[in-house]
Amino acid sequence: MPTPTLTQSIVITLIQCLLVVIFVFVVVPLTVFAERKVLGHLQQRLGSTRVASGHIGFSGWMNRRMWKMGRVPVVSYWRGIPGLVGDVLKLILKEDIMPAKADKFVFFLAPSISMVAAIVVFAAISFVPGTFFTFPTWFPYLGGLPVSGGISDINVGLLWILGVATVGVYGIVLAGWSSNSKYPLLGGLRSAAQMVSYEVPLTLSLLAPVVLSASLNFSEMSSHMAIGMPAWALIPQVIGFLLYLTCGFAETNRLPFDMPEAENELVAGFHTEYSGMKFGLFYLAEYINMTVVSALASAFFLGGPWLLPFGLQGLLNPYLPGFLSWFGAPHAIFFVAKIIFLLFTYIWVRGTIPRYRYDQIMAVGWKYLIPLALVNLLLAAVIRCFAV
Amino acid sequence: MEHFIETIGRNMFAIFGVMALVGALLMIGSRSAIHSVLGFLFAMLNIAGCFLALEAEFLGVAQILVYAGGIVVLFLFVVMLVEMSKKKEGEVFQLQSRYAVVAVAGGAALFLAVFRKAIFGAPSPEALVLRPELAKGLDVAHQNAQAVSRGLFADYLLPFEILSVILLVALVGAVVLAKTERV
Repeated sequence: MPTPTLTQSIVITLIQCLLVVIFVFVVVPLTVFAERKVLGHLQQRLGSTRVASGHIGFSGWMNRRMWKMGRVPVVSYWRGIPGLVGDVLKLILKEDIMPAKADKFVFFLAPSISMVAAIVVFAAISFVPGTFFTFPTWFPYLGGLPVSGGISDINVGLLWILGVATVGVYGIVLAGWSSNSKYPLLGGLRSAAQMVSYEVPLTLSLLAPVVLSASLNFSEMSSHMAIGMPAWALIPQVIGFLLYLTCGFAETNRLPFDMPEAENELVAGFHTEYSGMKFGLFYLAEYINMTVVSALASAFFLGGPWLLPFGLQGLLNPYLPGFLSWFGAPHAIFFVAKIIFLLFTYIWVRGTIPRYRYDQIMAVGWKYLIPLALVNLLLAAVIRCFAV
Repeated sequence: MEHFIETIGRNMFAIFGVMALVGALLMIGSRSAIHSVLGFLFAMLNIAGCFLALEAEFLGVAQILVYAGGIVVLFLFVVMLVEMSKKKEGEVFQLQSRYAVVAVAGGAALFLAVFRKAIFGAPSPEALVLRPELAKGLDVAHQNAQAVSRGLFADYLLPFEILSVILLVALVGAVVLAKTERV
């Protein structure tokens, strides 16, 4: 296997970045669409079934016929998808309004901080340990070179993810402040308090995998948590998983913890004054953050690129017959499937649990989640000390 | 091309350092308190970059996590809550500037006197550790976090614990002050 020169490795890294961006820009719109559909079914309706121009052509004719027959048309069920293009076009083309007394520079800076902090996190996430694919030899300039499963699988990957993700809070706080308006300011302050306090149990719940796997490297941690340890040592981490997921909901400002934008109290919270693509960046950042939280949860608790969660893969592997060995090896498809399942969980929870009151959120965070996370950490430490 | 990228890579520390200085200047120079906090944030992120350029990955990322993620957010929070009027702010700064220059000059002289050896002297061949037997088998260049934790929890355990007790005292003190003010 040839070793790449410096320029070649930089080109490969750029290709990886491109792949990550493509992944994000495929996953986010589909999540938005899934949100409409799943929420619709949770509320006993169909979700989006048509776009404005859905009355032309063959499928439009079939649609009309079936509606006339009093049935929900099968073709029509997915016809909301073109609406996503409409959404994107609307965000890009809409007039960008800036409040007259806004702080112009900070108003401009806030959405970009949100977006950058959300997407830079992917630098340390590795989708597969080792090589993702190898360029075929006929490929110009890069022929025969391997592309690894993560952009940079650094030794302190987990800390990088946590650190950069915390920078995202500036986007929200600064957006609230720079709008020079009361509701956004309140939303921004609320979010600062909420996100800073939920960061503590979030980090504590992620410390348990760190203790168990004795590493901060992303792929090492995920392989330790998937196949490196006996299942009974990892099954207590179900608590850690639930804790992490709860704090992840709070960190990404999703229901039931969406205090920064609580519509019935704060109009739209921190992004009240934003329009056009600036609002679009906040929207995008929120969904990318959801994807990141799902990726971490699936990597550290659900087995990551391996098939089975909670260390069960290690139990299964010796008994796999030869023709099924594909299920014993890490694969990016498993990782993505778990991310998609967790994104579904996000929508599921949103449709099920009503919003907390602000003081309740703080009480839950400080009085219940942090002690529980500490107990979980202690449990992990005991297991690590005596068993593994 | 190759040569160019290598040159950039070798001078990463200088690039981040200059940008950190720019951030610090922005912090001092800007009129609005929020802009100052932003300049501070920029400086902190660039200092993290400096650490990364020196291959101290753990310190660099901890810098982002602690300063950018925690402390500067609290600064921002406080600045947003306590909004000082522009005029008052200017007066306060004008009164203080003379003393501030003296204090900074004195501080810089002290700093140079204390760290003269570290800055201008020859680099020491080995890291300063009290119990070198603990660091055996540790590849410091690639196991940053482990090396730092050896330092904190084995070599310098007592100073480290004293430091955390001091922080705890500060916390309790802040709570006491806030309580008595309200009554």
